[in-house]
Amino acid sequence: MALSTIPFSGLGADASKQGVNFRNLIINGDMSIAQRGTSVSSITSSGYRTMDRWNFATDLGTWTMSQETDVPTGQGFAKSLKLDCTTANASPSAGNFLVLEQKIEGQMLQHLKKGTSNAESLTMSFWVKSSKTGTYICELLDTDNSRQISKAYTINSANTWEKKTLTYEGDTTGAFTNDNGESLRIDFWLGAGSTFTGGTLSTTWTATSNGDRVAGSVNLADSTANDWYITGVQLEVGTSASDFEFLPYDVNRTRCLRYYEKLEFTSAYDTIFGGWVRNGSDMGAVWQYETIKRANPTIGLSADNTYRINTASGDHTNQSSGTSNTTKTRTQLGFARSASLTSGQAGYINMENGNGNAYFTADAEL
Amino acid sequence: MINTVEKYYFDGVWGNTYKTTYENGEVLFVPHNEENRHYQEILEWVAEGNTIIDNGGGE
Repeated sequence: MALSTIPFSGLGADASKQGVNFRNLIINGDMSIAQRGTSVSSITSSGYRTMDRWNFATDLGTWTMSQETDVPTGQGFAKSLKLDCTTANASPSAGNFLVLEQKIEGQMLQHLKKGTSNAESLTMSFWVKSSKTGTYICELLDTDNSRQISKAYTINSANTWEKKTLTYEGDTTGAFTNDNGESLRIDFWLGAGSTFTGGTLSTTWTATSNGDRVAGSVNLADSTANDWYITGVQLEVGTSASDFEFLPYDVNRTRCLRYYEKLEFTSAYDTIFGGWVRNGSDMGAVWQYETIKRANPTIGLSADNTYRINTASGDHTNQSSGTSNTTKTRTQLGFARSASLTSGQAGYINMENGNGNAYFTADAEL
Repeated sequence: MINTVEKYYFDGVWGNTYKTTYENGEVLFVPHNEENRHYQEILEWVAEGNTIIDNGGGE
């Protein structure tokens, strides 16, 4: 029997909730992909660091963010995300914030039917562990319509993995824009100042009022003894949580590449790109990304002297580099030195010896 | 925090890219595209009264 003819019911009554059907709206919820690196210390400001797709938004305390192998036993996870407080701030200023967040494109959310009478409920599930017990907040923020809903969860036992499940009713007001921009932000709040905590927690969808977003939350930044781990993050349609949807590693990685891609070389003289000498001082090349990007990405390069220009006329350490005409699929690279190149010659760029790794990054994060 | 933004010319031609230097020394090549969050930062930086450098392709 052809696979397409097998009735879905034949897979078991619960198959739609347990198989791989991309029901998880979160990307890299198992924290397995970390292209930017596995540990960053001395964090005092917001940015994407370590695990792909997870933005650490903060101006409260100082932190180390890392990918860890400390995971809940017997659940199938291999990695977790850890935040470790290294400089405390027990008295946040009004506007301070401390949030782990993921932003989702509107075109990924149209099936939620938000803003209609058929709006779907959502259920968030995750595993969490912290040295600090107490009440934490997980918020869904509709950035298209300035609406939000917050749910509290409690870490009951210190330093113990606990599974949490939170259900958010559907919102019949405010449709998500059907484009590649941010529509929904998942905010795991870990601390905040009175601007965000001063009201009453908003546990139903409502127009955003900052004081009602994080009321009642602990402040994870109040001691350098504090740390917080999370893995197995899943946000799905419905009022109950299914088992975590494990994706094959390559599928999970490809989903991350839509937003960030790093091409790195670690061995001297590794060949990077073929190129051509456009004039007496520079070689052009094209980087075709592995995956089409959400938007035209920002390009980052390693130090100029990590690249080597090779032609029939000789090999030279690169002196300056840049990119232009960047699209969702490729960017044009230029590698230059003051002289010594012959126009029209073909050649290639490889990694120079002794000057560190050569890499390229394409960042199309929300 | 952005330190400087300069139109990046490639063989004398501007390829819709800004060479952006941040206060921590990081250099990024940002496309002229409003869907890009770094370009959105540049727009905010300009709105604060800062100026994009344009040397017209003269290296």
